[in-house]
Amino acid sequence: MLSRVADSLYWMSRNIERAENNARVLGVQLIQMLEASSEETLARHDWEIVLEICGSVADFNRLYPKMSTNHLIDYLAFSEDNPNSILNCIKYARENARTTRDIIPNDLFEVWNNLYLEMTEIRISEGSLRDIQHFLNRVKITAMTSHGIVDSMMTRGVPYRFFNVAKWLERAEKTARVLNILNDQSAADQKKADGTNYYYWRSALQLVNGYEEYLKKYPPRMNERDVLSFLISDYSFPRSIQYCIDHIRESIISLEGGRVSHYSWRMYAALDLIIDEFDEQKIRSLKEEGISTFLDDFQNKCNDIGRIFSETYYLVEPSKTS
Amino acid sequence: MFKPYQSETNFDEMLEKDGSVRSHYQDFHKVMDQFSEAELREKHETAQLSFLRQGITFTVYNDNIGTERTMPFDFIPIIMPPETWTMIEKGMRQRVEALNRFLDDIYHNAEIVKDGVIPREFVEQNPYYLKKQVTGIDVPLKNHIFLAGIDLIRDQEGTYRVLEDNLRNPSGMSYVYQNRYVMRQVYPEFFNRHSIQSLEHQLSHMHEAVLDHCPINCLHEPRAVLLTPGMYNSAYYDHVFLAQQMGIELVEGRDLYVRDNIVYVKTIRGMQRVDIIYRRIDDDFLDPQVFNKDSALGVPGLMSAYKKGNVSILNGVGNGVADDKAMYAFVPEMIRYYLNEDPIIPNVDTYFMRNIEQRKWALENLDQLVVKNVGASGGYDMLIGPHATNEEIDRFRKKIEEEPHQYIAQPTIQLSRAPAFQDGRFYPCHVDLRVFVMRGKKTHVLPGGLSRVALKEGSLVVNSSQGGGGKDTWVLKGGESNHAEQSS
Repeated sequence: MLSRVADSLYWMSRNIERAENNARVLGVQLIQMLEASSEETLARHDWEIVLEICGSVADFNRLYPKMSTNHLIDYLAFSEDNPNSILNCIKYARENARTTRDIIPNDLFEVWNNLYLEMTEIRISEGSLRDIQHFLNRVKITAMTSHGIVDSMMTRGVPYRFFNVAKWLERAEKTARVLNILNDQSAADQKKADGTNYYYWRSALQLVNGYEEYLKKYPPRMNERDVLSFLISDYSFPRSIQYCIDHIRESIISLEGGRVSHYSWRMYAALDLIIDEFDEQKIRSLKEEGISTFLDDFQNKCNDIGRIFSETYYLVEPSKTS
Repeated sequence: MFKPYQSETNFDEMLEKDGSVRSHYQDFHKVMDQFSEAELREKHETAQLSFLRQGITFTVYNDNIGTERTMPFDFIPIIMPPETWTMIEKGMRQRVEALNRFLDDIYHNAEIVKDGVIPREFVEQNPYYLKKQVTGIDVPLKNHIFLAGIDLIRDQEGTYRVLEDNLRNPSGMSYVYQNRYVMRQVYPEFFNRHSIQSLEHQLSHMHEAVLDHCPINCLHEPRAVLLTPGMYNSAYYDHVFLAQQMGIELVEGRDLYVRDNIVYVKTIRGMQRVDIIYRRIDDDFLDPQVFNKDSALGVPGLMSAYKKGNVSILNGVGNGVADDKAMYAFVPEMIRYYLNEDPIIPNVDTYFMRNIEQRKWALENLDQLVVKNVGASGGYDMLIGPHATNEEIDRFRKKIEEEPHQYIAQPTIQLSRAPAFQDGRFYPCHVDLRVFVMRGKKTHVLPGGLSRVALKEGSLVVNSSQGGGGKDTWVLKGGESNHAEQSS
C-alpha cells in the first residue's frame, strides 16, 4: 500500500474515532451540567475538564471573550479554528475517505459523505440542547455504523489493520487523557472538599462510555483504584488501554506476518514497554502522589506509540536533520 | 404528460418531424407515459440525490474556489438502434487508428509533412508538438492513444459528425457507468422491455489494454498505476472510479520517485518499481525537469525513464498535436493518407482564420458561424454567432484580427435535440455524444458513451462546467429492435 494512502487511512480512522469520542464527551457533559448545578464547587471545573479532553483551555480563551455554554458548544462542535472540533474531525475524515476511496468500502465513504453534507446545512437554534444532542447522536451513530461497515466488509488485509490500529491508538490516548485530567482535578479538589471524589471517577467512566460495564464488574461504588484498574488494565473492556494496546499489538503481528524485522523492532519494543506497566497489582500499589506521575508518563508512552507507528510505515516524512 | 413537439429545424433523437415517436423509442415512450407527474418528480429527485450521496461530483472553479457539484442527470436516455452503433463503432476505430498513425509518424519521420498532406507549419508551430522531447521514442505497440474520447454531434439531417477528438486526458467514463447504475436503481421499469448492450466487461478490457503497454525493459509482471493530480482536480471522481474498477493503484506525483531512470512508488514497505503509468496529468505538469518547472504535480526524471523504455506513459506524451482544434480539419486527410479509406464519419467544415480568404469571408459572416480558440476547451473563448450580441461579435472580430492563428470557424450546425425532464416539465435540449475508444493489443469501443445535454433551454453548450448534464446511452442489441417493432 502507498505510504500516502496509508497515512490518509490512518488519519481517517483517527478522526472518525475522535469525532465519536468528542461527541460523547460533549453529550455527557451537557447532561451532567444539568444534574450538577447544585454541587457548585464541583461543577465549576467541569467545562475546563471537557476543554482539556477535547481541545485546550488556552486555545478556547484565545478565541472567545468568556466562558458560556454557547461558546463551549461552538468551540467543541463547530469551530473551524479548533482542529479537534467535531466539524473539523468530520471534514478530515471525509476528506481522507475521499483520497482512499479506491481502498475503502464505498459504503464507508457514503456514510461520511452523508454526514458531511448534512453538517454543511445544519442549523442549530441557539441554546437548544435538544438540537445539539440530536446532532451529537448523529455523529456517534455514524461512527458506529462505519465500524460496522469496516468489520463486515473489509478483507482482513493491510488497509483493515491500519484502520484498526489508528482507531485503537486514538482510543487509548483518549482514555489516558481522560484519566490524567480527571485525576488532576480530583487531587486538586480533595484538598478542599470532604475527600469524596465519587463525582470525578463516575465522570471518567461516563466520558469513555464505561459506566455500565464497570457496574457489572464492581459494586456500585466509585473506588479510585477500581476505576483506574478497570480503565487501564481490564483486558476485556474495549475502551480500556490494555484492550487497545493488546489489539494494536495483535494487528501489527498480522501486518508483519508474525515476524520482527529491522524496521519494526522499535514498534514492538514500545508496545512491550507499555504492556509491562499494566500490571493490576502495580496500579493498586501506587502511592497517592505516584498516580499523577504514572498517568503523565503513561500518556506520553501512548503518544510515543503513535509516533513510532507512523515512522515505521513512512507515514510521516522523516525529519530533516542538517 | 409527455407532449410531443414539432421539430422542423433540428433533428430530434426521439421524435420524427411530425411529432410521432421514432420506432426504437416506442417501448420507452410507452413506459414513460404511465408515470404521473408526481412520480417523475420524485424519481428525478432521487436520482440527483443519489449522485450527491455517492460523491459523484466534479469541481467547478469560481473565483479560485473549487466547489463540488454533481452533474445533473436526465432520465430520458439516448437510444441507438444496432445498425447505427455498428456504423459509429467502425468510424471510431478508423479515426483513432489514423490519428495514432499520425502521431507515430510525426514523432519519427514525419512522412505526412514531407508528402505535403499537412502543411509543415501546422505541425511545427503547434504548441502541443513536443518535437524535442518526444521524437524518436518508440512506445509499446506503437500506440500513443490508449484512450480516446471522440465527441460526436448530429446535424439537421441526423448525420453524425465528429466535433472534437480528445486524445490527451478524456474524462467522463465514470459518468457513463454511474448514469447506467442510477438509471437502473431509480427507473428499473424501463429495463424490462429493452435489451441493451452491457457495459459490464468493458473495464476488464480496459485493464488488459493498460497492461498491454508493457515497456520494453520490463521483464517481470508489470505494475500499473493511475496518476492523478489529486482530489481537487475536476475529474477526480473519474480517476478514483477507473483505478478502483481496474484494480490499479491511484497515485499522485509525490508518491512516485525516479532513481537511475527507474520509476518507484513509495509504499509502507519501501520503494517498489512502477512500469506503466496511466496518467491523468497534462504534459506540462508531468516532469518539472522537462516541462513546467514550477509544477508540484509531476515527477522529476519521469521523461528520461520514459525515453529509456523503463516506463510507459498512457496516453502518450505529445498527443496534443493531434487533437488540437486546427489539426482536426486534417483528420479526413489522415484517414485517406494512412489507411487509404474514406472517412466513415465526416467532420464539421472548418475554416482557418490564418488563411486570408477564409478569414475575410468569415469576418463577414460571423453572425452565422461558431468561432473557437484552437487552444481552449470546455466551451471557453468561443463565439456562437447566431446567439451572440453585436458587441460580442465585434469583440471576436478584434480577437481574430489580432491573433488569426488562434482561431477557427465552423458553420453553425443545428445540433440534434432530445427531450429532457427538468423542473417538472419536458422540453427539447441539444445533445452530443462522447464515444470512448480503448486501445491495447485489441481495440474496444465502449458501447454507447456519454450523452451530454445542454439543460439550459436554448443553450448549445453541453459541457459540464457550463451547466450541462448527462443522459444514459442505450445501444440496443441486434434483433431486439425488430422484436420491439413487432410487439408495438
